[in-house]
Amino acid sequence: MTLADRLVYVVDDDPSMLKAIGRLLESEDYAVEMFTSAREFLGRAAHNGPTCVVLDLNMPELNGLELQEALAKMGRTEWVIFITGGASVATCVQAMKAGAVDYLPKPFEEEDLLRAVERALERSSEQWLQRLQRKEVRDRVATLTPREFDVLKSVIAGMLNKQIAAQFGTTEGTIKVHRGRVMQKMGVASVAELVVLAQRAGIAPTSSL
Amino acid sequence: MSWVTVIWAMIASACLTLALVHVLVWLRGREAYANLLFAFTAFGTAGFAGCELWMMRAESPVEFGTALRWTHVPVWVLIVSLVGFVRFYLQAGRAWLAWTVCGVRTFSLILDFIFSPNLNYRELSGLQQVPFLGETVAIADGVRNPWMLLGHLSLLLLMIFVLDAAITVWKRGDRRRAAMVGGSIAFFVIAAAMEAILSIWGIIHVPITASPFFMVTVAAMSYELSQNVLRAERLSSDLRDSQQRMALATSAANLGLWVWEVSKDEIWMTDKGRALFGFAPETRLDYATLLSRVHPEDRPMRDAALKRAIQTKDEYAMEYRALLPDGTLRWIAARGKCINDSDGKGNRLFGVSMDVTAQNQAQERFRLVVEASPNGIILVDEQGRIVLVNASAEELFGYGREDLVGQAVELLVPENLRGVHPDHRAGFHAAPAARAMGAGRELFARRKDGTEIPVEIGISPIQSPEGTLVLSVVVDISARKQAEAEATQHLKELAYLSRVAIMGEMAGSLAHELNQPLGAIVTNAGAALRFLERDNLSGEKLQEVLQDIAADGRRAAEVIRTMKGMGRKETGARQLLNLNDVIAESLRLTRSEALAHHCTVVTELHPALPKVDANLVQIQEVFLNLILNAFEASDELPTDRRRVIIGTERDGDSAVRASVRDFGIGLPGDLPERVFDRFFSTKREGMGIGLFIARSIANAHAGTLLAENAEGGGARFWLRLPTSKETRV
Repeated sequence: MTLADRLVYVVDDDPSMLKAIGRLLESEDYAVEMFTSAREFLGRAAHNGPTCVVLDLNMPELNGLELQEALAKMGRTEWVIFITGGASVATCVQAMKAGAVDYLPKPFEEEDLLRAVERALERSSEQWLQRLQRKEVRDRVATLTPREFDVLKSVIAGMLNKQIAAQFGTTEGTIKVHRGRVMQKMGVASVAELVVLAQRAGIAPTSSL
Repeated sequence: MSWVTVIWAMIASACLTLALVHVLVWLRGREAYANLLFAFTAFGTAGFAGCELWMMRAESPVEFGTALRWTHVPVWVLIVSLVGFVRFYLQAGRAWLAWTVCGVRTFSLILDFIFSPNLNYRELSGLQQVPFLGETVAIADGVRNPWMLLGHLSLLLLMIFVLDAAITVWKRGDRRRAAMVGGSIAFFVIAAAMEAILSIWGIIHVPITASPFFMVTVAAMSYELSQNVLRAERLSSDLRDSQQRMALATSAANLGLWVWEVSKDEIWMTDKGRALFGFAPETRLDYATLLSRVHPEDRPMRDAALKRAIQTKDEYAMEYRALLPDGTLRWIAARGKCINDSDGKGNRLFGVSMDVTAQNQAQERFRLVVEASPNGIILVDEQGRIVLVNASAEELFGYGREDLVGQAVELLVPENLRGVHPDHRAGFHAAPAARAMGAGRELFARRKDGTEIPVEIGISPIQSPEGTLVLSVVVDISARKQAEAEATQHLKELAYLSRVAIMGEMAGSLAHELNQPLGAIVTNAGAALRFLERDNLSGEKLQEVLQDIAADGRRAAEVIRTMKGMGRKETGARQLLNLNDVIAESLRLTRSEALAHHCTVVTELHPALPKVDANLVQIQEVFLNLILNAFEASDELPTDRRRVIIGTERDGDSAVRASVRDFGIGLPGDLPERVFDRFFSTKREGMGIGLFIARSIANAHAGTLLAENAEGGGARFWLRLPTSKETRV
């Protein structure tokens, strides 16, 4: 994961504003892609990496809020920064509720925009990082046999080997072997580490107690 | 009784009867000389018949001689009266011949009484008895007197005289009378004379029986005179008719007729006239009685007028008031004429009196109406002299009427127009018709104090006996002008308020329009600074950035300029405008509104639209109103159908028109024009003056603003403006 993978979209129907924002972002070495309408932007395939959208709220056809909605429906997770030439508090609240990172009235301080973009990209990066980690855990979990997966869920529930053996109707020795393989496959040395990984992968512990 | 006695007695009595009748006629009308003369002829004939009978019954030559002598008397009467009758009745015959006939006959009559036994015989020797009408009568025998030829001569002359007169009458054209009177007299006198002469000369043995022939003449004359009586009867009947007609006419016309016999001081007056003055039909009237009914103030005038008429034997005409005993006041128009009758009756005054109270009241009313009119009224004659003014005109111009009447009307015309005004008057008289003076120009009237006031003047020609008069009605419009100025001012202020309202409505939109370029400027500047800091700014890039900054600055300035214009009360002067530009600017200002209303704006602008001479701010106000209304009208529609179509096109050679159309619910179906009413609004917060102002702006530009329901739904507004003359080819 490098910074070069990060990308900023700018959507504004006013060409001069679009150009100015693009120019400002480029001056800070951001990779920028510019669109003069929401539809044009929606036509572009999602970027595989940390990204954010600087979105003009007032646009013909599809305005900023509608675009935000459309993105959410498509399952896209771009962070949105709204800029507006003069909108009401109501629109602002609506935008924030829908998950906008920031809301900047025009004319804005370029620092504010840059800070907002940076913040959005950081969050996006974080998200990407988590997504990557979860994927890794899931990949490891996928190597477990069903019996090993069941043992994993019981271990992270804090059960002793004896208790697990009683639950499955087997010997304590057998459970010990399973447990060792789980630890090995998951690449952890302690139960505490295993618990963190399982949690990250969203695996719920099972306990008969 | 014998036939001779019967016939001759009948002739005599018939003639006597006729004579008596005509004597009576003459006694009634002393001028009927023809009747008198006829009576003499008839008497003569009767006498002649008597003498003839006497001769026929004579028993001795002496008696026959005496009878014949006396026969000459009725013959004289007969002949002289015949001559007179012809002269008087036919108005013909030579006078010298008449006198000669009469002279010769008179001389014969004298000789008749000188000679013995008479004119016809020297001596009578005896009588012969001859049979006549079944009995025997006497005829004479004796020595004939040659002087009797003188009598024959008189008869011959009479024939000549009568025939001559008859010919004259015939030639005059009155052939019936010539034949009837002249012809019968001539024929039967000849017959009678021949019979008598032949009898006397003994050529035929019959008694002298001329009277039957004369009887026929008398009958013819009598018939002729009776025609006159019949004619007179017809005349009198005609006269009665015409009197009745006259009475009817005078009664219908409310005319009273009267005649004043000055010497007898007697007044005859028609019933209508008596009613006019309040006299009973039987009251005896004289000058003083009549004068007593004249209003005391008018008596001397009337008295003087009548006396002058009598003195000068002339006519008089006047109007005076009659005051009746019951207090009724009547206006009487009187005319009269003094006639001095030649029959010695002295002066007579014929008069006509007419009740003109109603007319005078109407005149008085007319005068009061004119006088009470709130507008100035001035009557001017063909020479431009003032004939009449009313009180309002006095007040309006500050002159008294004695200062105005008789003066040239140019006195009231502003000084700079006095020179041309007589030409204008001449032009009006060349084609006189009621119209407003000045044909659209502003008119001013000059007051006595020299100030000038705005007026409107209506002029109409009035035909009168003095020629064409011009009636001018002058209305002081100072107050109206003032009110108009105030109304214009109010409209201006309303337009300003309307603009402020629009600005309020568009506040968000305008802020956006301003922030957009400002934001771009700030952002561009920030970017450039960052590039600089990193030493990463090429000259090319800097130029690019600065150009963008300048363009955005201009854009912001444009918006501010428009806002300033809209926010001012005064809207500045007119200029050449392309409506397409005004529409583009209006659309830019309302861009955010369009977005807020989710409206798509479609423009269909004519690429080569002629320019109009108009006030930018006002026309922009019109378009902003129409566009914002169209956006609002679209609110009820689903978002994908919210469209506003704005177009421009040429409208003939001298106008352009722009349309703004939406797809909303449209105009009130019953009264689309109501949307232009003041304070008509369908918006919750609308003042209802936007379209009212928009239309008044269109009208002030000599244009129109119309509304209609478009086909396929929604409202369409048409703004039509004349193109500038400078751009027209």
